[in-house]
Amino acid sequence: MNSVFGYSLLTAGLLLAAWLGLQSYRRRAVNGPQIIAALVLEGAILVQSVIAVIAVINGHEPAEKVTFLAYLGGVLLPLPLGIQLARIERTRWGSIALCFTSVVVAVMMLRLLQLWNSHSTGFG
Amino acid sequence: MTTPTAGEPAAATSDERAADPNSGPRRVLIALYAIFALAAISRAAVQISTKFDEAPLAYSLSLFSGLVYLAAATGLILRGPVARGIAWAACSIELLGVLVIGILSIFDSNAFPHDTVWSRFGSGYVFIPVILPVLGLWFLFHTRADRAPTEPAVGR
Repeated sequence: MNSVFGYSLLTAGLLLAAWLGLQSYRRRAVNGPQIIAALVLEGAILVQSVIAVIAVINGHEPAEKVTFLAYLGGVLLPLPLGIQLARIERTRWGSIALCFTSVVVAVMMLRLLQLWNSHSTGFG
Repeated sequence: MTTPTAGEPAAATSDERAADPNSGPRRVLIALYAIFALAAISRAAVQISTKFDEAPLAYSLSLFSGLVYLAAATGLILRGPVARGIAWAACSIELLGVLVIGILSIFDSNAFPHDTVWSRFGSGYVFIPVILPVLGLWFLFHTRADRAPTEPAVGR
Protein backbone atom coordinates (compact mmCIF):
# COMPACT_ATOMS: atom_id res chain seq x y z
CA MET A 1 0.00 0.00 0.00
CA ASN A 2 1.39 3.30 -1.10
CA SER A 3 0.52 6.23 1.18
CA VAL A 4 0.68 8.92 -1.48
CA PHE A 5 -1.56 6.80 -3.70
CA GLY A 6 -3.83 6.17 -0.70
CA TYR A 7 -4.28 9.86 0.09
CA SER A 8 -4.88 10.51 -3.61
CA LEU A 9 -7.69 7.93 -3.55
CA LEU A 10 -9.09 9.49 -0.39
CA THR A 11 -9.11 12.93 -2.03
CA ALA A 12 -10.62 11.50 -5.20
CA GLY A 13 -13.43 9.95 -3.16
CA LEU A 14 -14.21 13.28 -1.51
CA LEU A 15 -14.09 15.14 -4.83
CA LEU A 16 -16.43 12.60 -6.41
CA ALA A 17 -18.76 12.97 -3.41
CA ALA A 18 -18.74 16.76 -3.79
CA TRP A 19 -19.47 16.45 -7.51
CA LEU A 20 -22.38 14.12 -6.79
CA GLY A 21 -23.64 16.31 -3.96
CA LEU A 22 -23.77 19.21 -6.42
CA GLN A 23 -25.55 16.98 -8.92
CA SER A 24 -28.16 16.10 -6.31
CA TYR A 25 -28.51 19.76 -5.30
CA ARG A 26 -29.29 20.50 -8.95
CA ARG A 27 -31.97 17.78 -8.80
CA ARG A 28 -30.20 15.70 -11.42
CA ALA A 29 -29.50 12.01 -11.80
CA VAL A 30 -25.96 10.68 -11.94
CA ASN A 31 -24.53 11.30 -15.41
CA GLY A 32 -22.20 9.23 -17.58
CA PRO A 33 -18.92 10.95 -16.66
CA GLN A 34 -19.74 10.48 -12.96
CA ILE A 35 -20.36 6.76 -13.43
CA ILE A 36 -17.06 6.51 -15.32
CA ALA A 37 -15.27 8.46 -12.56
CA ALA A 38 -16.69 6.09 -9.95
CA LEU A 39 -15.61 3.06 -11.99
CA VAL A 40 -12.09 4.49 -12.42
CA LEU A 41 -11.88 5.16 -8.68
CA GLU A 42 -13.05 1.62 -7.93
CA GLY A 43 -10.39 0.25 -10.30
CA ALA A 44 -7.69 2.35 -8.64
CA ILE A 45 -8.80 1.14 -5.20
CA LEU A 46 -8.59 -2.45 -6.43
CA VAL A 47 -5.01 -1.80 -7.58
CA GLN A 48 -4.20 -0.33 -4.16
CA SER A 49 -5.73 -3.34 -2.40
CA VAL A 50 -3.67 -5.76 -4.49
CA ILE A 51 -0.50 -3.75 -3.74
CA ALA A 52 -1.34 -3.84 -0.02
CA VAL A 53 -2.06 -7.59 0.05
CA ILE A 54 1.26 -8.30 -1.69
CA ALA A 55 3.07 -6.06 0.81
CA VAL A 56 1.43 -7.88 3.76
CA ILE A 57 2.37 -11.26 2.26
CA ASN A 58 5.94 -9.96 1.91
CA GLY A 59 6.08 -9.13 5.60
CA HIS A 60 4.68 -5.64 6.15
CA GLU A 61 2.86 -5.62 9.50
CA PRO A 62 0.04 -3.09 9.71
CA ALA A 63 -1.54 -2.43 13.11
CA GLU A 64 -4.47 -4.82 13.76
CA LYS A 65 -3.72 -6.97 10.75
CA VAL A 66 -7.11 -8.72 10.69
CA THR A 67 -8.97 -5.40 10.81
CA PHE A 68 -6.72 -4.04 8.09
CA LEU A 69 -7.42 -6.98 5.79
CA ALA A 70 -11.16 -6.70 6.49
CA TYR A 71 -11.08 -3.03 5.51
CA LEU A 72 -9.03 -3.91 2.42
CA GLY A 73 -11.83 -6.18 1.21
CA GLY A 74 -14.62 -3.98 2.51
CA VAL A 75 -13.38 -0.84 0.77
CA LEU A 76 -14.14 -2.50 -2.58
CA LEU A 77 -17.86 -2.88 -1.83
CA PRO A 78 -19.45 0.58 -1.34
CA LEU A 79 -18.84 1.99 -4.85
CA PRO A 80 -20.35 -0.98 -6.76
CA LEU A 81 -23.41 -0.65 -4.50
CA GLY A 82 -23.60 3.10 -5.13
CA ILE A 83 -23.08 2.70 -8.88
CA GLN A 84 -25.80 0.06 -9.09
CA LEU A 85 -28.25 2.20 -7.11
CA ALA A 86 -27.38 5.25 -9.25
CA ARG A 87 -28.02 3.26 -12.42
CA ILE A 88 -31.45 1.99 -11.38
CA GLU A 89 -32.46 5.21 -9.60
CA ARG A 90 -32.33 7.82 -12.36
CA THR A 91 -33.22 10.73 -10.08
CA ARG A 92 -31.37 13.01 -7.65
CA TRP A 93 -31.71 10.23 -5.08
CA GLY A 94 -29.34 8.09 -7.12
CA SER A 95 -26.85 10.95 -6.88
CA ILE A 96 -27.26 11.01 -3.10
CA ALA A 97 -26.71 7.24 -2.85
CA LEU A 98 -23.47 7.38 -4.87
CA CYS A 99 -22.38 10.52 -2.99
CA PHE A 100 -22.77 8.67 0.33
CA THR A 101 -20.89 5.59 -0.83
CA SER A 102 -18.06 7.83 -2.12
CA VAL A 103 -17.74 9.43 1.31
CA VAL A 104 -17.68 5.96 2.88
CA VAL A 105 -14.82 4.94 0.58
CA ALA A 106 -12.85 8.06 1.58
CA VAL A 107 -13.39 7.35 5.29
CA MET A 108 -12.39 3.68 4.88
CA MET A 109 -9.28 4.74 2.98
CA LEU A 110 -8.34 7.08 5.84
CA ARG A 111 -8.74 4.22 8.33
CA LEU A 112 -6.62 1.95 6.12
CA LEU A 113 -3.87 4.56 5.94
CA GLN A 114 -3.92 5.00 9.72
CA LEU A 115 -3.57 1.25 10.28
CA TRP A 116 -0.92 0.93 7.59
CA ASN A 117 1.30 3.69 8.89
CA SER A 118 0.95 3.18 12.64
CA HIS A 119 3.41 0.25 12.73
CA SER A 120 5.09 0.78 9.43
CA THR A 121 8.73 1.40 8.72
CA GLY A 122 8.07 3.36 5.58
CA PHE A 123 5.84 3.66 2.58
CA GLY A 124 4.75 0.36 1.12
CA MET B 1 -48.69 9.35 -1.82
CA THR B 2 -50.62 6.35 -3.07
CA THR B 3 -49.54 4.48 -6.14
CA PRO B 4 -52.56 3.64 -8.26
CA THR B 5 -50.84 0.93 -10.24
CA ALA B 6 -47.68 -0.41 -8.74
CA GLY B 7 -47.08 -2.94 -11.51
CA GLU B 8 -47.43 -6.64 -11.78
CA PRO B 9 -45.40 -9.07 -9.63
CA ALA B 10 -41.80 -9.39 -10.79
CA ALA B 11 -42.37 -6.15 -12.69
CA ALA B 12 -39.95 -4.79 -15.24
CA THR B 13 -37.48 -2.56 -13.46
CA SER B 14 -37.80 0.14 -16.12
CA ASP B 15 -41.39 0.77 -15.06
CA GLU B 16 -40.55 0.75 -11.40
CA ARG B 17 -39.56 4.39 -11.13
CA ALA B 18 -42.85 5.62 -12.52
CA ALA B 19 -44.73 3.17 -10.34
CA ASP B 20 -43.09 4.08 -7.06
CA PRO B 21 -42.52 7.76 -6.27
CA ASN B 22 -40.76 6.74 -3.05
CA SER B 23 -38.13 4.57 -4.68
CA GLY B 24 -35.49 7.30 -4.34
CA PRO B 25 -35.56 7.69 -0.55
CA ARG B 26 -35.97 3.93 -0.26
CA ARG B 27 -32.80 3.32 -2.26
CA VAL B 28 -30.80 5.87 -0.30
CA LEU B 29 -31.93 4.12 2.90
CA ILE B 30 -30.92 0.78 1.35
CA ALA B 31 -27.44 2.22 0.70
CA LEU B 32 -27.18 3.49 4.29
CA TYR B 33 -28.42 0.26 5.85
CA ALA B 34 -26.29 -1.97 3.60
CA ILE B 35 -23.14 -0.01 4.45
CA PHE B 36 -23.89 -0.10 8.18
CA ALA B 37 -24.66 -3.81 8.02
CA LEU B 38 -21.28 -4.30 6.35
CA ALA B 39 -19.51 -2.09 8.91
CA ALA B 40 -21.10 -3.63 12.00
CA ILE B 41 -20.91 -7.28 10.88
CA SER B 42 -17.28 -6.92 9.72
CA ARG B 43 -16.37 -5.23 12.97
CA ALA B 44 -18.08 -7.94 14.98
CA ALA B 45 -16.46 -10.70 12.93
CA VAL B 46 -13.00 -9.25 13.60
CA GLN B 47 -13.73 -8.66 17.30
CA ILE B 48 -15.25 -12.09 17.92
CA SER B 49 -12.58 -13.96 15.99
CA THR B 50 -9.60 -12.18 17.52
CA LYS B 51 -10.48 -11.05 21.06
CA PHE B 52 -13.94 -12.25 22.06
CA ASP B 53 -12.95 -12.87 25.70
CA GLU B 54 -12.05 -9.22 26.28
CA ALA B 55 -15.63 -7.97 26.03
CA PRO B 56 -18.10 -10.71 25.08
CA LEU B 57 -21.15 -8.53 25.73
CA ALA B 58 -19.99 -5.62 23.58
CA TYR B 59 -18.83 -7.85 20.75
CA SER B 60 -22.03 -9.89 20.76
CA LEU B 61 -23.89 -6.60 20.62
CA SER B 62 -21.80 -5.54 17.60
CA LEU B 63 -22.93 -8.67 15.81
CA PHE B 64 -26.54 -8.16 16.89
CA SER B 65 -26.56 -4.56 15.63
CA GLY B 66 -25.10 -5.71 12.32
CA LEU B 67 -27.84 -8.32 11.92
CA VAL B 68 -30.48 -5.69 12.70
CA TYR B 69 -29.05 -3.43 9.96
CA LEU B 70 -29.04 -6.38 7.58
CA ALA B 71 -32.68 -7.13 8.42
CA ALA B 72 -33.64 -3.50 7.84
CA ALA B 73 -31.83 -3.43 4.49
CA THR B 74 -33.52 -6.68 3.47
CA GLY B 75 -36.91 -5.39 4.55
CA LEU B 76 -36.41 -2.30 2.38
CA ILE B 77 -35.11 -4.20 -0.66
CA LEU B 78 -37.87 -6.81 -0.69
CA ARG B 79 -41.35 -5.37 -0.79
CA GLY B 80 -44.69 -6.50 0.43
CA PRO B 81 -46.33 -6.71 3.86
CA VAL B 82 -43.89 -9.22 5.35
CA ALA B 83 -40.84 -7.22 4.27
CA ARG B 84 -42.45 -4.05 5.62
CA GLY B 85 -43.02 -5.79 8.93
CA ILE B 86 -39.37 -6.83 9.06
CA ALA B 87 -38.30 -3.26 8.26
CA TRP B 88 -40.60 -1.84 10.96
CA ALA B 89 -39.31 -4.29 13.54
CA ALA B 90 -35.65 -3.78 12.60
CA CYS B 91 -35.86 0.02 12.66
CA SER B 92 -37.71 -0.04 16.01
CA ILE B 93 -35.20 -2.43 17.59
CA GLU B 94 -32.40 -0.31 16.16
CA LEU B 95 -33.77 2.90 17.66
CA LEU B 96 -34.31 1.22 21.02
CA GLY B 97 -30.84 -0.33 20.86
CA VAL B 98 -28.97 2.84 19.97
CA LEU B 99 -30.78 4.80 22.73
CA VAL B 100 -30.31 2.16 25.45
CA ILE B 101 -26.70 1.39 24.54
CA GLY B 102 -25.99 5.07 24.02
CA ILE B 103 -27.16 5.87 27.54
CA LEU B 104 -25.48 2.80 29.10
CA SER B 105 -22.17 3.53 27.38
CA ILE B 106 -22.12 7.00 28.91
CA PHE B 107 -23.27 6.13 32.43
CA ASP B 108 -21.79 2.64 32.72
CA SER B 109 -18.73 2.66 30.52
CA ASN B 110 -17.43 -0.49 32.25
CA ALA B 111 -20.14 -2.57 30.62
CA PHE B 112 -19.08 -1.34 27.19
CA PRO B 113 -15.36 -0.65 27.42
CA HIS B 114 -14.93 -1.38 23.74
CA ASP B 115 -16.80 0.57 21.15
CA THR B 116 -19.75 -0.84 19.34
CA VAL B 117 -21.60 0.87 16.52
CA TRP B 118 -24.18 2.06 19.05
CA SER B 119 -21.82 3.26 21.81
CA ARG B 120 -22.27 6.94 22.72
CA PHE B 121 -25.18 7.14 20.26
CA GLY B 122 -22.87 6.20 17.40
CA SER B 123 -20.39 9.04 17.90
CA GLY B 124 -17.71 6.97 16.14
CA TYR B 125 -19.91 6.98 13.04
CA VAL B 126 -20.77 10.71 13.05
CA PHE B 127 -24.02 9.90 14.91
CA ILE B 128 -25.54 8.30 11.81
CA PRO B 129 -26.59 5.27 13.96
CA VAL B 130 -28.96 7.44 16.00
CA ILE B 131 -30.30 9.34 12.96
CA LEU B 132 -30.74 6.31 10.70
CA PRO B 133 -33.57 4.53 12.60
CA VAL B 134 -35.48 7.82 12.78
CA LEU B 135 -35.17 8.21 9.00
CA GLY B 136 -36.16 4.58 8.51
CA LEU B 137 -39.22 4.82 10.74
CA TRP B 138 -40.20 8.14 9.18
CA PHE B 139 -39.96 6.61 5.72
CA LEU B 140 -42.04 3.58 6.73
CA PHE B 141 -44.64 5.82 8.35
CA HIS B 142 -44.72 8.16 5.38
CA THR B 143 -45.17 5.34 2.86
CA ARG B 144 -47.63 3.24 4.90
CA ALA B 145 -50.47 4.04 2.44
CA ASP B 146 -48.47 2.42 -0.34
CA ARG B 147 -48.98 -0.95 1.25
CA ALA B 148 -51.27 -2.12 -1.51
CA PRO B 149 -51.92 -5.69 -2.67
CA THR B 150 -50.81 -4.71 -6.18
CA GLU B 151 -47.33 -3.86 -4.95
CA PRO B 152 -44.53 -5.80 -6.64
CA ALA B 153 -43.37 -8.71 -4.54
CA VAL B 154 -39.72 -8.06 -5.25
CA GLY B 155 -38.00 -4.91 -6.32
CA ARG B 156 -35.01 -2.75 -5.85
